[in-house]
Amino acid sequence: MGKFLNAALGIVIALFIGALIMLAQGYDPLASYAALFQFSLGSPYALATTLKNAVPLVLTGLSAAIAFASGPVNLGQPGQLIMGALAATVGGLYLDLPPWLMIPVLALLAMAGGALWSGLAALLRQAFQMSEFIVTLMLNIIADYFALWVITGPLKDATAYSPMTPPIARSGWLPEFGDWNSAIFWMLAAVALMWFLYNRTRAGYEWRMGGQNSLFARLGGCPVNRNFVLVMLLTGALAGLAGGLLIMGGPHRFLRGLGANYAWDGVMIAIVANNSIIGTLFYGLFFSAIQTGALGMELITDVPSEIALVLQGVLVLVIVASREALHKVADRLAVRRRAADAAKNERAVAQEIERG
Amino acid sequence: MNVVTGLINGAISGATPILLAALGGAYTFYAGVFNIAMEGMLLMAAFCAVWGSFTFGSWVAGVLLAIAGSLVLALIFIFFAVFLDTDEFVTGIALNIFTLGATTYLLRQSFGVKGVYAGPGIDPIPSLNFPLVAQIPVVGPILSGQNLMVYVAVLATIASAFLVFRTRFGLRLRAAGYNAASLDSSGVPSNRLRAYSLLLCGVLCGLGGAFLSLGYVNLFSENMSAGRGWISLAAIILVSGNPWGVAIISLLFGFADVLGLLLQSYQVPSQFTAMTPYIATLIALYFYARRQRKERDYADA
Amino acid sequence: MTDHPSPLAPDLIRMRAIVKVYPPNVLALDDVTVSFDDGEIHALVGENGAGKSTLMKVLYGLIHQDGGEILYQDRSVRFRTPGEAIAAGIGMVHQEIVLVNEYTVWENIVLGAEPVDWLGRIDETRSRQQVQAIIDQFHFDLDPDAQVDDISVAARQKVEILKLLYRKVSVLILDEPTAVLTPQEIPQLFAELRELRDEGHTIIFISHRLEEVLALSDRVTVLRKGRLVATVPAAGTTRAELAELMVGREVLFTSRRTPQEPGEVVFAVAGLRYEDGRGRVRLKDVTLQVRAGELVGVAGVEGNGQFELVNAITGLLKPTAGTIEVAGEDVTAAPVLERRRHIAYVPQDRGRMGGSLPASVVENAIMTHHRLNAELVRWRGLLLDNGAARRFTDRLAEAFAVSMPSRSSPLRSLSGGNQQKVILGRELLLDSPFILLDQPTRGLDVGSIEYVHDQMLAMRGAGRALLMISANLEEIFMLADRIVVLHRGEIVADVPVEQASIEQIGRYMLEGNDATL
Repeated sequence: MGKFLNAALGIVIALFIGALIMLAQGYDPLASYAALFQFSLGSPYALATTLKNAVPLVLTGLSAAIAFASGPVNLGQPGQLIMGALAATVGGLYLDLPPWLMIPVLALLAMAGGALWSGLAALLRQAFQMSEFIVTLMLNIIADYFALWVITGPLKDATAYSPMTPPIARSGWLPEFGDWNSAIFWMLAAVALMWFLYNRTRAGYEWRMGGQNSLFARLGGCPVNRNFVLVMLLTGALAGLAGGLLIMGGPHRFLRGLGANYAWDGVMIAIVANNSIIGTLFYGLFFSAIQTGALGMELITDVPSEIALVLQGVLVLVIVASREALHKVADRLAVRRRAADAAKNERAVAQEIERG
Repeated sequence: MNVVTGLINGAISGATPILLAALGGAYTFYAGVFNIAMEGMLLMAAFCAVWGSFTFGSWVAGVLLAIAGSLVLALIFIFFAVFLDTDEFVTGIALNIFTLGATTYLLRQSFGVKGVYAGPGIDPIPSLNFPLVAQIPVVGPILSGQNLMVYVAVLATIASAFLVFRTRFGLRLRAAGYNAASLDSSGVPSNRLRAYSLLLCGVLCGLGGAFLSLGYVNLFSENMSAGRGWISLAAIILVSGNPWGVAIISLLFGFADVLGLLLQSYQVPSQFTAMTPYIATLIALYFYARRQRKERDYADA
Repeated sequence: MTDHPSPLAPDLIRMRAIVKVYPPNVLALDDVTVSFDDGEIHALVGENGAGKSTLMKVLYGLIHQDGGEILYQDRSVRFRTPGEAIAAGIGMVHQEIVLVNEYTVWENIVLGAEPVDWLGRIDETRSRQQVQAIIDQFHFDLDPDAQVDDISVAARQKVEILKLLYRKVSVLILDEPTAVLTPQEIPQLFAELRELRDEGHTIIFISHRLEEVLALSDRVTVLRKGRLVATVPAAGTTRAELAELMVGREVLFTSRRTPQEPGEVVFAVAGLRYEDGRGRVRLKDVTLQVRAGELVGVAGVEGNGQFELVNAITGLLKPTAGTIEVAGEDVTAAPVLERRRHIAYVPQDRGRMGGSLPASVVENAIMTHHRLNAELVRWRGLLLDNGAARRFTDRLAEAFAVSMPSRSSPLRSLSGGNQQKVILGRELLLDSPFILLDQPTRGLDVGSIEYVHDQMLAMRGAGRALLMISANLEEIFMLADRIVVLHRGEIVADVPVEQASIEQIGRYMLEGNDATL
């Protein structure tokens, strides 16, 4: 209940602030928002595009949410996404299997690529106690340059003007059903699987407890170090899968700047979703709607599509603030209620004592 | 000789934004605030500097606006983490995300471009030449002719060391980080010190960001802080905030920058040479973790 | 020094009808009226949880009363913060010392009221002089340049007192100041406090050690369960009278256990030694056995190795030497889970070690069971059986009389007593032969304490081996078969409760092997 209230309140306030910004710059906010949602949710095609664009957001969001909720501060989704995309691209360039085999193989390669990159951070943490927080951040930038080297050097498409790889084998392209790209099903399956893993398995239980109170989990007999590595590998694989699906479902090749578009999106979505898996799906879709709709909005209202980035930023700030503010109000109300109850009890007891 | 001088000057330029941001972060480090918003503050300041310099045709306006922009983020941080008591980590990340979006939007909105704005109307921060100093052999070309912000950074280092270790403010600031309860019970609200430290961080990151876009280069590009805020955080952690230590570490990162350029002349692809500061950060973290582990063995349990 | 008309000018402070309720419904102070005279040493005594500290925190502005008023120098006052209280001349030294360990003595004393020059630079010379001057004035033996990290606990306490004197307070509140001191240090503190009184300060002294109270104070106020019992002059009052006022019954320490012949050794520690990284010996040749059906109580002043002993047993800390055996298995180097097959563990800190406050009752209840109890998992332990977990929680809640809003409510929403019941129930249901309890009743209300004690005795009756660490001697005497005393990491006494007296154990706690019987 509180969660929905918080989400609704946050979204309304963020949209309101966005409207103020537009007003201040002389745009018509109502018309802009109408266009924004028309182009993101208003037609089957728009909805399909929004859903497809949500795939990397939701998957990196899942990665960040599961990591944060379980303890590891994995901020490496951008780097892991790039490495996953790169692995899938390499696979797609050198393999040619029948589609029913090719697509799962490329997806696995992508997950392995992401897990390799997060596993590196996990290894540095386990072997040398280097904090994964800064390590994953540095690995992001290193992965970015590495990918740039790969697409300008060894895997450059000689026929292209800007750095990019040649397209991957046709058999690795994700099938489309009308407007609907099958990457969407991968995303929904990943959400369902992660929800199950996190809420129904013993490992998920241990990760949750470890994330909330690692000393408690350790004293309770959970293998906290092993869980740390597992969570890092899993969340790296999720971000890697995001990268792989991006290649297989979209341009079918690694283009320059692929990772930059998704730099902080996963972390951002995890934060506003408060690390909840269902919340991640919801906010991933919502952010995708804003990003997708903004491009259309730009066409007919002159409002730059970058307004989507501002709306996102404002939303993060508002949700974080309102969560604490609501907590505070709720706590204060609860204490007051209990104090009143206590006073009532005291009076009752006192009367009883007097009576006899 | 000239090559060496050039290298040193390059390292100094590379070190300056990191040093300014790290000095700012050092205040919050001492005050016990887990502040990871330096990245966003640098970026916001870099944009505001270009905007101010372009709009008013004066680098002074650019620097002032850079400080103002960075301070706005500091104020939001204070409102969130000190007043609302939100998680500091989440607040910092949220501010960085907000800034990345806001500067990208504002770049498009103000200059009508995507990616980079490098128009001619941007007034850069001048360099200072001291003719007499420049005559000194060997060190003359290093001591003279640097960008104004380089001298500001040197002064800021000295001032910070003085402020932190010698003054009443510093004594209270460090007490807020070491043991906030003790400071509170001494009649000084530790929250006030935390807020001051964030404001100082805002000012210094403002200067650092202004140097990035009006000194180091003369343009603004999307996400141009490029991880320097994170590197400054690493620098702070490595030396536990000590301003002199921060200065040395920043210089080392500056040299890593230059090393990258040097490697490029040995046919190493530029994409790899560009990684050097980040790899240097990882190496520095390794040594830090090793030292920490020894100390933890001492203080075990 | 200060000139006041008579050493006992009446009613410097008058606290009238003070009521304080801690949420959810703990009545910590119930209509307490007490007055403190100018220039007296006034002791506040009572059992744990009687409301002594609460009353003083109200006076000091740390917490605020829900009813009643405070008159200070005949004016009604309500300090919002300790800072306001200090400015008005009332200072408090807390039980746990809050100093900046990284700072020197003088830096700690002047912090918040530093002499500075025009640049804001701290005037070190003047600071040192001022600090030295008050050290000399009150004949404290302290080096202003020593770092707080390096000085003894007694010296730190002096720094706390000096910090207040530097701020020129006239009323000093000391919360259990002797709890952290060695016996040799106590007379010196008392001499210093008397001197302060003779110079015109008013001293309020919280304690539950009756000899001390009678030796030091002019008047004594007794609190029991949040109510005022009496204020009596110290002169002419005996320890027995005071004890009776304090606990409300004549006999202080009764054993609640029934005699029972212990079985074989279940838990054995031999030659356990632990040195921290700096080479300080924290545990020294600790050898200890607990038999089936036996409850051994570990007494000792806090910080004498209890923490290290518990952590060595649970596996958080690797001992330097020695062995730990449970149920015949050497677990000295075993991973935590391996130990937990034989060890039930009730930690002292519920929110930090015993459970996860944001997690549901079910999630808290199944910890450790999820690894050891096959009924809770399916598919070779891959999946959790949520139905079984709920049934298990219901069983636990029923067996241990847990009152909770619902199984899925967060642990945080339960009262402290019910949280402890969840943790205790979880651990006892492990059916381990050995049960380790670290301060199992700390911070609980009287009813819950009794419940925990009953459960412990039931386990003893069922033939389990129990090791309890407690700071509460009364608790140990009430439950234990044998009392072991830890002093500076060493076992200095291991005696059957029948042969132990509270005075004797107290001396062992304070003086270790030097205690003469």
